Amino acid sequence: MKTLLLAAALAAVAASVAAEEFTFDAAEFEKKPFELNGYVEPKLELLGLRGDSAAYRLAYPTEAARATLARSTLTLELEGKANLGDWVFDARAQASQVDDALTSRSNALVVQEGGVRYSAGPGLTLDLGKRVTRWGKGYALTTVGFVERPKDATDPTASREGFVMASVDWTRSLPGSVSAISFTGILLPTDGVTNADFGRTNDLNPAAKLYLLAWDTDIDLMWRGAGAKTEAWGVDFSRNLASNLEVHGEWARQRNATHTAVNANGAVSSTLQDSTAWLVGLRYLTQAEVTWVAEWVHNGNGQTDSEWASYQSFLSTATQPVASAALTAKAQTLALSGMNRPNPGQDYLYVKASASEPWGWVYGSAAVSLMANVQDHSWQITPELGYTGWTGWDMRARLSVLRGAALTEFGEKLASNKLELTTRYSF
Amino acid sequence: MSRISGVRCGSAPPTCTFFNYQIGLTNFQNSIMITLKNIASLALLIPALAFAAVDGVALLKKIDRNLEPESYESYRKLINIEPNGDKKEFVLYTVKKGKDKMASLFLQPASDKGRSTLRQGDNMWMYLPSVGKPVRITSLQSVTGGVFNNADIMRLEYAVEYDVAAVDESDAKLITLQLKAKTGEVAYDKLTMKVDKKLSLPLEIKAYASSGMLLKTLYFKDIKDFGGGIKRPATIETDSPLYKDFKSVMLYSGLKKRDVPDEVFTQGYMARIEELRK
Repeated sequence: MKTLLLAAALAAVAASVAAEEFTFDAAEFEKKPFELNGYVEPKLELLGLRGDSAAYRLAYPTEAARATLARSTLTLELEGKANLGDWVFDARAQASQVDDALTSRSNALVVQEGGVRYSAGPGLTLDLGKRVTRWGKGYALTTVGFVERPKDATDPTASREGFVMASVDWTRSLPGSVSAISFTGILLPTDGVTNADFGRTNDLNPAAKLYLLAWDTDIDLMWRGAGAKTEAWGVDFSRNLASNLEVHGEWARQRNATHTAVNANGAVSSTLQDSTAWLVGLRYLTQAEVTWVAEWVHNGNGQTDSEWASYQSFLSTATQPVASAALTAKAQTLALSGMNRPNPGQDYLYVKASASEPWGWVYGSAAVSLMANVQDHSWQITPELGYTGWTGWDMRARLSVLRGAALTEFGEKLASNKLELTTRYSF
Repeated sequence: MSRISGVRCGSAPPTCTFFNYQIGLTNFQNSIMITLKNIASLALLIPALAFAAVDGVALLKKIDRNLEPESYESYRKLINIEPNGDKKEFVLYTVKKGKDKMASLFLQPASDKGRSTLRQGDNMWMYLPSVGKPVRITSLQSVTGGVFNNADIMRLEYAVEYDVAAVDESDAKLITLQLKAKTGEVAYDKLTMKVDKKLSLPLEIKAYASSGMLLKTLYFKDIKDFGGGIKRPATIETDSPLYKDFKSVMLYSGLKKRDVPDEVFTQGYMARIEELRK
């Protein structure tokens, strides 16, 4: 009798567990008028520094050379949204605290994106606010990012800050080979204060994109009008050649782009030239479920290997303790004016191999990526591991190794090695 | 006289041809025996005739309609259950229109909120809020980890993606359909679908790679009335020899007919799918 009662009790418990396991009511997920989400992200970095490099002396002009630096960063990102019928108000803001042995800085909560969107229907929206546009099909880099801040090729998915703009999106779905057409129009005003990072002249800076899904191919035609930046236009495409193979490409032409070169003595020459940039790439999924991304990027307005070597040679001289204050100040001004932007060269090869759930490691991922400056043969290789098995948590470990000869891009970076451990909790 | 009679069935579309070859002439005395044999042969052919009577393609279309209206919205919860009992849950909102358009939005967990997927025929894209633009993906990639992959989450209709290679209704309660992918774009090359004869709903589907390797088995359970004439399994359990001792469960709720504009199924709308939810 006891056995029967025990069995019945166990069965009841099992039944209740099963019922609990498989209960789902959509009503629990009704749309809320107000939403608040975000994440907290602690990050630990261990940097192997090139203490004798010009990059080190530029970053830490008063510090003695050192070989390593441990850094901790705590980032908080908050995202709020109010859904009021056809009107949506939203904002995404970020704050951070960075500490290491040489510096400690707090970045107050800054709105990265935010504004209001009015949907006149599924095919027509009007938007006003600070927005991040992401044009182009390139994974690591893009040549058609006409109205956005540069992408960090070493962390392409990192969130970026937008520009204040007004935009309209019109979309129409069609029968036939051209199955979708979409037009985006943008005005990105600059007046010396607004969008100062984009330009400081008084301009409206119009831009537009026409998207087509034609013959199963994504095609974009893009244009940026002359204003704070010079006129540019471009085209990109993406297409699946097979269920496991995608190819993509970009081509851009910029009129009267300023090309700056610095010789070893610090003499700066700026020329205006029409320049062409392009990118070709593919994404391939192997039978072993390894995704390969390979991209070749050419930036006609970038620094050639000899131009870059001359600039690095100048930096090396200008940042020496014996250099004159004027020369050092000139080096710092040049670095801040864009010469030290990410990926300043002309030709790059990017290759990434990534595997989801490798070796049966469920929710795990492993990847290794290579970014190489093809002209000066310097490179950065980054193996990484990720894990998303715990609800709400994303964990990532990355090791970056940067190598190159003297006066090359990756051979002269501040750090020669970098280990990053990142944990993100989303709520 | 001696004859060989039978039924020979081909692959998609399911066709059966009867063959009846005359081997030679016999005397009149044997004719009665022959007649009896022919009767016996005919008797043996009755199941085969019934077999041939089932239109596999029509049945597959009926199964599609019984599972979902052609255009609908639904909420799904995916639960990945690890061998140690740990669970990870995902909640998706999905809209589908016609035979080849589908869009899904992740509502849970917080780390995936806002992620959306779009399918137009064989074209498939993923939108990650952090990336901010749609990226083309393949149907075989897993968007959640665990046993379910894109093809399970973004499945259109069986009749759109598969030909019926063979129909077997020798079981009194079941019909077994052998399905072959129409193109190489489809994630699973072959399916063996066991169908409830009375309800015209799947009970079990085994999915195979082109190599013949079993990739996963889906079990359809818990038939529920969703209203609006939709009565279908509310639970799909999945296991896979590739994920030993793992189990994934997909639960349906809020499935109802809904017709949304075509523009919803475009790249530009991927960041705005949330607007469809009421």
